[in-house]
Amino acid sequence: MDSERDRELERRRQQVRAGGGEARQAKQRQQGKWTARQRLAALFDPDSFQELGMFVEHRSAEFGMADTEAPGDGVVTGFGQVDGRLVYAFAQDFTVLGGSLGEMHARKIHAIQDLALKSGAPIVAIADSGGARIQEGIDSLNGYGEIFRRNTMASGVIPQLSVVVGPSAGGAVYSPALTDFVLMAEGIGQMYITGPQVIKAVTGEDVTHEALGGAETHARKSGVAHLTFPDEPALFAGVKHLLSYLPSNNLASPPAAPAADPDPAAAAQLGNVVPDDPNKPYDVRQVILGLVDQGTFLEVQPGYAQNMVVGFGRLAGRVVAWCANQPRILAGCLDIDASDKLARFVRFADAFNLPLVTLVDTPGYLPGTAQEYGGIIRHGAKVLYAYSEASVAKISVVLRKAYGGAYLAMCSKSLGADLALALPTAEIAVMGPEGAANIIFRSEIERADDQDAMRKRLVAEYRNRFSSPYVAAARQFVDQVVTAEELRPVLISALWALGEKGEDRPAKKHGNIPL
Amino acid sequence: MRRFKITVNGHAYEVEVEEEGERPSGGRSQHHVSHARHEPDPAAARPAEAAGPGEPILAPLPGTVLDVKVSAGQTVASGQVLLVLEAMKMENEIVAPRAGTVKELHAKKGQSVTTGDLLLVIG
Repeated sequence: MDSERDRELERRRQQVRAGGGEARQAKQRQQGKWTARQRLAALFDPDSFQELGMFVEHRSAEFGMADTEAPGDGVVTGFGQVDGRLVYAFAQDFTVLGGSLGEMHARKIHAIQDLALKSGAPIVAIADSGGARIQEGIDSLNGYGEIFRRNTMASGVIPQLSVVVGPSAGGAVYSPALTDFVLMAEGIGQMYITGPQVIKAVTGEDVTHEALGGAETHARKSGVAHLTFPDEPALFAGVKHLLSYLPSNNLASPPAAPAADPDPAAAAQLGNVVPDDPNKPYDVRQVILGLVDQGTFLEVQPGYAQNMVVGFGRLAGRVVAWCANQPRILAGCLDIDASDKLARFVRFADAFNLPLVTLVDTPGYLPGTAQEYGGIIRHGAKVLYAYSEASVAKISVVLRKAYGGAYLAMCSKSLGADLALALPTAEIAVMGPEGAANIIFRSEIERADDQDAMRKRLVAEYRNRFSSPYVAAARQFVDQVVTAEELRPVLISALWALGEKGEDRPAKKHGNIPL
Repeated sequence: MRRFKITVNGHAYEVEVEEEGERPSGGRSQHHVSHARHEPDPAAARPAEAAGPGEPILAPLPGTVLDVKVSAGQTVASGQVLLVLEAMKMENEIVAPRAGTVKELHAKKGQSVTTGDLLLVIG
């Protein structure tokens, strides 16, 4: 650091690293928020982050912008290592012009998106921005459009994660929406298309920023957020945890880990979780926890459409995408939101070589006018499409109820499951025993003196005859009937057997999933 | 076209109701609601949010109330089973979304409910 030119470089670096200055950074901290550089430091392994484009400046001369300094133009971009793996990232800096997106700010993002795609590495977008830089007009609008297009081109090629730790309003929300996962910090991240003031003016509704677009709202009501965290340290630990299950790109395998036994308490209980009585609810997550390597289950969208459980977990070190009906919520019925949640998760897993294990216990589709008018037909079709289309290893396990169309939808052999397993408690039939008996034996019931007694007897008869795994197994719609205790070793060897599985699909531009 | 003035949670609304078959006037939507912003009753509680009278627990699906596990005024913990609703051939446990007290109890054992029916209110 002895030449004048070296000192000049260092001075410029310091200036950019200072971002919007001490006062604005203090304000950021007061709000419980980290600065852009703190966030990147939390994400990347120590000293591994390489910043690109740090001396980029905006070109705007309008509206007094000519004299406005904007270090890095309000965004920090680069690459580094996360647990030793290459990851690209950009972090908007709210202390510089409110993290607003102008022409050059956007160009830095485009450059890092392009590099991530070319190098086949995940990209993490850290959003904390007031939105479009109005002074730069349509150039900033174009900046968003080009981000969206790159998000789309990278979709299904590299994992794209969006971390929302600040405002994300208007068009800005659509980049996160196009990516694979949206992670939010409670009380810090907010996403909406139109803000509270506009809503107040147009519809008269009173709503706070947090109630409209906070983490809780998007975790429970809208389903926009896949994972939420109480604060930023927890959030960035969560980003790393999520990345640990994901391959770097669509041609790579998910990261392997040493095999581990399941949680001993959960494994010991595994045989007792699913009640024999088909009317009794239970928590299907207890089944998953009894199967996966201890401490490896990461549930995705846990607060949204809770009648469907999806998440990542390892079996003997191998990453598995788990899908399961949740009998304790809405009886485990399939509905619009559960269908959307499941179909999107299945497509993600298929795009990124994650084998699917589906645990089935559903009485059917949720009845009601709200579901029909809401389009359960087209939403439910997504599940059929996603499972049929998926060419990764597909294993289904019928735990208990599997009736009719919902049985078919949940990764049945008919939709291309490579291996269909069932517990002895499985009831696989065209419909539930009550409904079926009422139809098949209608005339017998009508003729009987005591219709109720006759109905009960015939329902029991139907149940004994057809509500078991053995009718389906006789046609090999079920390949193997196993006990709950046998399930984990059987799944592990099945995943091993299907490890090199491949399936070709007819060449086409793309399918037409019923969106 | 008939006009009504209704007040919901302290907000006054003017509602124009048009019978089907009647010609919509000037191409406007048939049910036009305008927020009148008449002097809201200052004593009235703010709609929704924490200041409201409590959290209503609604039936998530149509069924029969099999069992009511709490009584009015009782303190409940988050996750505690409030009642059991038999629906879709399943004994669905309706649990408290948060800790509080049972401020209102509307569900009765044996009662048939449809989606959205008010079962109880946690305050």
